[in-house]
Amino acid sequence: MTAASLNLSLSRDARPILISASFIVVILVAGTFYTLSRLGTAPLLSPTYLLQQLQIGSFLGIVAAGMMIVILISQIDLSVPWTLTAAAMMATAVGGAWALPVGLGVGLLVGLVNGVGVAYLRIPSMIFTLGVNAVMRGLMVAHTGGFAPQTAATDLMRFLAADHSFGIPNALFVWLAVSVLVALILRRMALGRYIYAIGNKEAAAYLAGVNTRGVIVISFVLCGLAAGLAGVLLAGYSTKAYQGMGDAYLLPSIAAVVIGGTNILGGRGRYLGTLVGVILIVLLNSVLSIMEMPEAGRQVIYGAVIILMLLVYGRGERVTS
Amino acid sequence: MNAASEREFLTLSGISKRYGGVTALENVDFACARGKIHAVLGENGAGKSTLIKIVAGVVQPDAGTMRLDGNEVRFPSPSSANAAGVASIFQELSLLPDLSVADNISIASPPRRFGIIDSKAQRRRAEAFLAEIGCEDVNPLMRVRDLPLSRRQMVEIAKALGQRPQILVLDEATSALTSADVEKVYAMLARLKAQNIAILYISHRMHEVEALADRASVFRNGRHIDTFEWGTRSTGEIVQLMIGRDIATQYPPKPQRPSRKIALKLDNLCWEKRLESISLEIGTGEIVGLGGLDGQGQKTLLLALFGVLRGVSGEIKINGKPVRPTSPAFAKSRSVGVALVPEDRKTEGLMLPMSIADNLAIASLDTLAKGFFVDRAKERSAVEKGIARLRIKIGDSKDAVSTLSGGNQQKVVIAKWLMTEPSIILLNDPTRGIDVGTKQEIYRLMRELADQGVAILFYSTDYDELIGCCDRVAIMYDGRIVRELEGAALNEHNIIASALNIDAGAASPSSSDEVAHG
Repeated sequence: MTAASLNLSLSRDARPILISASFIVVILVAGTFYTLSRLGTAPLLSPTYLLQQLQIGSFLGIVAAGMMIVILISQIDLSVPWTLTAAAMMATAVGGAWALPVGLGVGLLVGLVNGVGVAYLRIPSMIFTLGVNAVMRGLMVAHTGGFAPQTAATDLMRFLAADHSFGIPNALFVWLAVSVLVALILRRMALGRYIYAIGNKEAAAYLAGVNTRGVIVISFVLCGLAAGLAGVLLAGYSTKAYQGMGDAYLLPSIAAVVIGGTNILGGRGRYLGTLVGVILIVLLNSVLSIMEMPEAGRQVIYGAVIILMLLVYGRGERVTS
Repeated sequence: MNAASEREFLTLSGISKRYGGVTALENVDFACARGKIHAVLGENGAGKSTLIKIVAGVVQPDAGTMRLDGNEVRFPSPSSANAAGVASIFQELSLLPDLSVADNISIASPPRRFGIIDSKAQRRRAEAFLAEIGCEDVNPLMRVRDLPLSRRQMVEIAKALGQRPQILVLDEATSALTSADVEKVYAMLARLKAQNIAILYISHRMHEVEALADRASVFRNGRHIDTFEWGTRSTGEIVQLMIGRDIATQYPPKPQRPSRKIALKLDNLCWEKRLESISLEIGTGEIVGLGGLDGQGQKTLLLALFGVLRGVSGEIKINGKPVRPTSPAFAKSRSVGVALVPEDRKTEGLMLPMSIADNLAIASLDTLAKGFFVDRAKERSAVEKGIARLRIKIGDSKDAVSTLSGGNQQKVVIAKWLMTEPSIILLNDPTRGIDVGTKQEIYRLMRELADQGVAILFYSTDYDELIGCCDRVAIMYDGRIVRELEGAALNEHNIIASALNIDAGAASPSSSDEVAHG
């Protein structure tokens, strides 16, 4: 018992990251055994295949980076699916040089609305962002008139999302840039410290002279921006925007953050964990699709893995003081 | 029966407990008997809280055994301790704010009918227990959130009684009570004692211990120093045992200050019905106390000055310049320079799970930044300076602040604000629930800061403290300042008379004496 608690105190934040990293290895090994025995090949160990998977994962990674910030201040952003879709649709609708700025602008604007709603109107984020999601969806249906949009992604969007440089997908570089930015904010900037402080005890942060409302608004704006960027990239990757393109990003992004060891109630967690969480989810998905697992079974396994990981972290986490 | 009550009821032997690198208890032997009030004394960090947490099953000892009535027992959880007859009232309130008083009192085992909670019986039960401690004025159907702190603490006591304990543990249970309630608690403890219940009493208010204790045990640095029958040691000897060193004077001497510059000037400050035309001046280097009964607007005044309240009317001048504090962020800014040590350090003063260093730096991060980023070297040195200045006892500054004792936690709150180099410091009862040694350090620090030209506004519920520390004391009553006491007029008699808003001359000494002990 003492050894366990000692181990815990040594690496309270590092532990979930280590566990999920080793789970990634388990997935790779198990998947490779499967493919070797059934197909006689090992695609999971081929760099080309892995890079392709990570390229798809980079969209999720960018969404999760923003989601993590919001979760750290013990809020949630459920408007991500249609923020992402709206950004993609607006970007492709405008087209040309303005496509990217407009897409990001949509994300920023939605984030701003979310932030003001939560910080100033004091509406719980779970309700407010859910409402905003519905509003965005309505607006987009009105915009397209219910039909699939006829517009296409611009060259720049395609370059960022689908092209390669030096054999590496450009989307990975974008994800890397976002990651560096978020990690710098969280670890090195005062803003990051305020984010953790608010997640731990908003009242204490406020009485310490932290501009808590400002920080909450900025957090939602960052999350909105990330969703907007992911939308623009995803439209570039699939060459067009389409209804429901963001639906597959809400739960996986939250799951990636939580699997990475971030406390769902806020205030604790490292960005590296979110990175590992995203990779875990992406690889899990690709292994399941290699196994040609039917959709129903995939959902069950996917959900079970999330619960299992959280159970593993939860052990010994009872704080006594 | 007498012989039985003389026998030790609860015995702890060789108990040790460590939190990370900090030893909270080391090889402690301790015993208490039925029908006695056993005071546990010691500075913060002496190990008292850990001791009673072990007795209450909240934490498990690393080594040692516990015997109850001769049989070895082990409490892996608070409910197992409850089942064995141990009820505890902790310093941190354990009530659920959104449930009613009645729900809270019966939370562990509500009365049931056909498996469904019998809310009528539950209400009657709550009424009975509340009546037992003289709190008939508390409506059992009210939500705990809506009760003032002192009432909440009484509900906590009623809840503990509801468990019909054999051993009752009170950990600073009276720290938030009004003096009338303290009296009721005394009467209740006397009744419980007569019912042959063992009572463990932890309090930093020496006069309470003096009035109640039959026996006392002194702890220091996690060790059991001495246990003795009350009355066999003088107060001086006991204090000596607690701190292990001599204390010459309790309060630092007050310097003469003939001329002063006005640092803070309040003119006709009003807020809703809680503050009514407050006018007050505080000079640089002056410590001004806020006195009076609990809840007369003292805390509201401090919050108004710190920019927490909206719609404050009247004028606030700092160093001659009118300011309108709109938020704590504004109040702490360089040009204003106000700091507030809030009432509840656990929820308002600290982010408990975060590290000591993060808590210390949070208020001054803007000054520790270089461009976009926090200058980590500068931050580290500022944190170390803060820790050294207040002599905060820590293992490592990366440890969570929740691992510190109450006194050291309060020091972190104060150090955090000193790092912003404020020119005006507002203190909201900063010594509540803190040991004698730390209190003295805080008094000394206040005077030191004043000598450096800081203006201090100091609210305290302890009259002794106001008299000993303050150059001047403003007494509040019903949202107004009714009197300012200074020099020879600053004495207990005048404070009490003004606190009750009666003419000091007319109040007879005997009646005010009664109040003083009440």
